[in-house]
Amino acid sequence: MTRIEAEVIRVFPRDTNTDEIIAGKYKYDELDINKLAMHVFESIDPSFYADTKKLKTPIIVAGANFGCGSSREQAPQVLKACGISCIIAESFARIFYRNGYNIGLPLIECKDVSKRVSHGDRLRVDFDEGTLLNVTTHEVYSFKPIPIFMQEILKAGGLINYLKNFGGFTD
Amino acid sequence: MKTISEKILSTRSGTDVTGGDLIAAQVDLVFAHDGTLPLAIQQLGDLKIKYPEKVAVICDHASPSPSERISNVQAMMRKFARSHGIDFYENGDGICHQIVLEKYAAPWKMIIGGDSHTCTHGALGAFATGMGSTDIAATMAYGKTWFRVPESIKVEVSGTLPEKIHSKDVFLELIDRIKADGATYKALEFSGTGITKMSVEARATLTNMAIESGAKVGVCPADEKVKAYLQQYGRGGEFTPLYADDGANYESEVHIKAEEVVPMIAKPHKVDNVAPVADLEGEEIDQVCLGSCTNGRIEDLRAAAQILRGHKSRARLVVYPASRDVLMRAINEGIIGTLLSAGAAVCPPGCGFCIGRTIALGDGEVALSTQNRNYKGRMGNDNAFIYLSSPSTAAASAIAGRITDPRNFGK
Repeated sequence: MTRIEAEVIRVFPRDTNTDEIIAGKYKYDELDINKLAMHVFESIDPSFYADTKKLKTPIIVAGANFGCGSSREQAPQVLKACGISCIIAESFARIFYRNGYNIGLPLIECKDVSKRVSHGDRLRVDFDEGTLLNVTTHEVYSFKPIPIFMQEILKAGGLINYLKNFGGFTD
Repeated sequence: MKTISEKILSTRSGTDVTGGDLIAAQVDLVFAHDGTLPLAIQQLGDLKIKYPEKVAVICDHASPSPSERISNVQAMMRKFARSHGIDFYENGDGICHQIVLEKYAAPWKMIIGGDSHTCTHGALGAFATGMGSTDIAATMAYGKTWFRVPESIKVEVSGTLPEKIHSKDVFLELIDRIKADGATYKALEFSGTGITKMSVEARATLTNMAIESGAKVGVCPADEKVKAYLQQYGRGGEFTPLYADDGANYESEVHIKAEEVVPMIAKPHKVDNVAPVADLEGEEIDQVCLGSCTNGRIEDLRAAAQILRGHKSRARLVVYPASRDVLMRAINEGIIGTLLSAGAAVCPPGCGFCIGRTIALGDGEVALSTQNRNYKGRMGNDNAFIYLSSPSTAAASAIAGRITDPRNFGK
């Protein structure tokens, strides 16, 4: 996955939190992530789930501090389950950032991205070059390179596979 | 010259670390609850638990179980704990963070919890941080995990808090200044005469809420009060002092004068949407919630009971003590009698109202809670409104049925 081309399904504001991504009232009852995913963004954006089915490669763009709040890994899990290929935000909350890579969902930090990209834009993300081409507006942005350790976790398909491959953490 | 975070992580990694370094370190405790353990069990698959004696499992979020499905999930958790020989805490034992404060946390310890408010344990001088289920599973399987050493923000609180002003008000003042991402990836290190004078329980409110500003950990020095707290739970032997070095390097500093702190409130639907209580006085509320890992400890219940004594609560009043130990103490001190006489529904220790799975708000209802988060839908209803305050503000407001400055109460 050195490059993906995707369509922006939504541009979420800053401080979009994990309770908004998946409400606490559902997560204790449902261990099937595909079923839980039907409630994604239900409180703030009830048509989100249906819209993910209309796009081949949906991508989320957001302002700063995306995924703040709870440690619930169900948040990145449900986004991945409904086909989100990548999230590009101005910054991520710490636990959400770890959780994303741990389950194999790439998260990219890009300055001012929520102001430069609009709903419906087509984006080409080049992970090796660290660039983002907005195919719709022909603008190119650069983003913070993904740390090598995180790239290796992604390559392995998540943290557990990575650790199985390497036999644990290296000191 | 090192911060508290750098000291703990240097000791643990056996190298001289500073903010920004990546390390792998052994952990002393990894715990998870009914919201995060089930996914961790899935992720573990056929991996074995390396140190079962360093693992704890707690049923607190949807507790006591309100449904067949959740009962089945909890039964699976019990079986998991039993088969691996790990500590298991039952419905009604309390909220994971209060149990960990009472039974496990201590200065210099590394604690990983499958809950964002794991930063609470910095009140005892531990390096404690929340992680998701996969990290929890990995830590269970390998006994260690990786950390990026955080840069620290020094929060110096000086002086003495006025009467009816709580550490909750201090934190709301802090987040009003630094906002919901003001400490992302950082450590909030609390110090100063205001912290020295605070009880460990009051400190735990500050460290509990560190995550609300994005922090990885919130930590206080391990002083004589920490020693006394550990002794109270028969763990005095686990005490070793811990302070930041003079001249340690902080990324930034925030200074708060305790004398100038006023009752503060967070308005819907964000924790950093803060105003003085005085600005909102008179707004009607339907339910007041006293409890949670933020403000469900004995001194919180004591402060609320002091105001509620001899009064009836006009708003619905719901109380969830943070642990069995807290509830027992509250019974022995007569606090529970006072709360019941005021009309409170006193519920078994657990997360209760905060997560909205065992008790929920109705459409359009307004709650004032001592918990840490007021996100939309947090208390089980997307069409409800949540305000956050200290126990004293909550108690005074319960009696009036309206948001009330506790300093004006009874005048």
